[in-house]
Amino acid sequence: MLKVIGGFFLGLIVIGVLAYTYAGSLMFREIESPFGVEETVARIQQNIQNTGNGWALSGLRNPGKAVQNDGGNVLPVMMVEACSTKYSAPILKDDAVRFLSILMPCKVSVYKKNDGKTYIGMMNAGLMGKMFGPMVGEVMGHVAEDQAKFVQFDASKPAPEMIKGMPGAATGAAGGAAAGGC
Amino acid sequence: MPARPKIILSVAAITAMLTALVAFALPAKPEAAPAPQAVATPKKQSDSTADHSKFKELQKNFKTGPEVTEACLICHTEAAKQVQHTKHWTWESKDPKTGQVRGKKNIINNYCTAVLSNEKDCMACHAGYGWKDSSFDFSVQKNVDCLVCHDNTGTYRKLPGDAGHPVYKRREFPPKSGKFVEAVDLKKAAQSIGMPSRTNCGACHFFGGGANGAKHGDMDSSLQHPGKYLDVHMNEKGLNFFCTECHATKSHEVSGSRYNTSAAMTGPAHIRGKADASPAACQSCHGDKPHPQKDALLNQHTDKLACQTCHIPEFARNDIGTEMSWDWSKATIMGPDGKRMVRKDSAGRRAFDSQKGAWVWESHVIPEYRWFNGTSTYKVIGDKIDPTRTVQLSVVGGGPNDPESRIWPTKVHRGKQPYDVENNYLTVQHTGGEDATALWHNYDWQKAIGTGMKAANLPYSGKFAFVETELTWPITHMVAPKEDALSCAQCHNKNGRLKDIQGVYMPARDGKHSSKKEG
Repeated sequence: MLKVIGGFFLGLIVIGVLAYTYAGSLMFREIESPFGVEETVARIQQNIQNTGNGWALSGLRNPGKAVQNDGGNVLPVMMVEACSTKYSAPILKDDAVRFLSILMPCKVSVYKKNDGKTYIGMMNAGLMGKMFGPMVGEVMGHVAEDQAKFVQFDASKPAPEMIKGMPGAATGAAGGAAAGGC
Repeated sequence: MPARPKIILSVAAITAMLTALVAFALPAKPEAAPAPQAVATPKKQSDSTADHSKFKELQKNFKTGPEVTEACLICHTEAAKQVQHTKHWTWESKDPKTGQVRGKKNIINNYCTAVLSNEKDCMACHAGYGWKDSSFDFSVQKNVDCLVCHDNTGTYRKLPGDAGHPVYKRREFPPKSGKFVEAVDLKKAAQSIGMPSRTNCGACHFFGGGANGAKHGDMDSSLQHPGKYLDVHMNEKGLNFFCTECHATKSHEVSGSRYNTSAAMTGPAHIRGKADASPAACQSCHGDKPHPQKDALLNQHTDKLACQTCHIPEFARNDIGTEMSWDWSKATIMGPDGKRMVRKDSAGRRAFDSQKGAWVWESHVIPEYRWFNGTSTYKVIGDKIDPTRTVQLSVVGGGPNDPESRIWPTKVHRGKQPYDVENNYLTVQHTGGEDATALWHNYDWQKAIGTGMKAANLPYSGKFAFVETELTWPITHMVAPKEDALSCAQCHNKNGRLKDIQGVYMPARDGKHSSKKEG
């Protein structure tokens, strides 16, 4: 019996360590972009607009601007924000999971690293959604499917223009991105 | 999945998510302050002992630039002769070490390629008037352009096509753009003169290569009103240096040039009046042990590293960006309607033009690092090339065993440009102008190369192809605040910034030492 209980707790510890180690990389995805920062942003924006399902752009933020205003430098980071009322409405109507509004709008981060390459960072909506019950799981599953389309690029098409004129554009401020369907 | 691990995983996931959200929120400010470059700058107070608006000679209604110069020379009797000895006038320089004669007049680059046969356009950036072809007389003093460097009205404009003359008559520029450039009020400009401002230097040096920031990567119009993050020396709210602060000038000879770079200055900071070294080097103010005693280890780096390597972590640190490549082989590709096609990139910068080809731009560029001893060897017109390899249009000299060498950050501009397939040299092409052979007018490479090679006095086989080229520039402007200098681990790392630099032992890159130990 002691062995069973010991094994159980050992298993818990192992799983806890694994969860602690890998939770970050499970919850968030990072992929390399074949384009520069601006072009990646512009292509994601175009993809979002072409995805359908009620998706609309709600902001483009540059957290690096705030650092520049304080006299410092960071490599470029641009946050593309988008929302779909089709997916946000069911969550926002349910008191039990309204706290998930903290995840809205949906964000895709585009940034450069010290290796000079451009990367795309996203939340793993599918996995995250499964933790909050069947309704959220289903909604977030659809979000995850659409997210995958946001980052499918057709290099044979010319680079579109980056869309800047949205709430939060060209500022480093957080908040205030309540347009685009959310 | 069993229930308990699922709960634990959920808790861990939510914790990670909240941590990430908090981390995202940290750098943000409730209300972003206006960008520093948008703030109007107080002009530097003139300390001149002369008010040129009171001079009798400058009360005329000048019709041309040379008339203004003649008036200047009444008092400044030696000025034109001095200018005529400088690169700003000759567009030519001789390397004191190698003897190579280079300068804009002689080299071929992978931007607009060459000056010959295109003088009327290129001379918009010549400190002179009337250089439209090889018949230009370099001895005529009234053709020296005083105003291009000394006008302080900020209204003096020279446009392509005028062979270096300013705008005498209001005109639409660029053609068919709906934008107009006003005629210069020469009297007002002449009466305003003073020491060169950022506007004077920047009119050419910020726009080299035909667009804002295109050429150098560490110089563009953002340096007109820079914040501390962009350039700690030129910061308007801080030291507020003008170009001439470092590029100190004697007899119109401007110090500091990529043609004669001081790559490895040693010794303490200069005292005033010391004439044996370049004032345009970091060391001239900071000495070769610039870090405080507590960071003495950093001072041991100065015999291998240029200051710029750590203190310019990226160049083109703005939305303007810089051009990374120019593909001339795409020029003359017309739009579906058979007419000229122009396309911009996602950030609104030029990306394609049927006249000129295709470009790639980038912002916040991480430099490529090279050993550099201050001497670059350039491809000049007529130099033989090996078309089976990428042609190096400038080779930065130096190496790990050369005491004059340091590791420098560079911008490498890549291109594809035409060469004569039988004679194996890069071709000169006639691009600008409205005549029958100008590439930008008739989209005919054969005619354009024919005219260009004739101007260069070189035989042309009649057959051309495109070859890949590289042009390497040392980076030296846009010095970041010290807090943003490279950290130790960014180089002392197997995959760090200097991973490809040979000939020097670097702890943590080459051996056992941890980068933490290094600082």
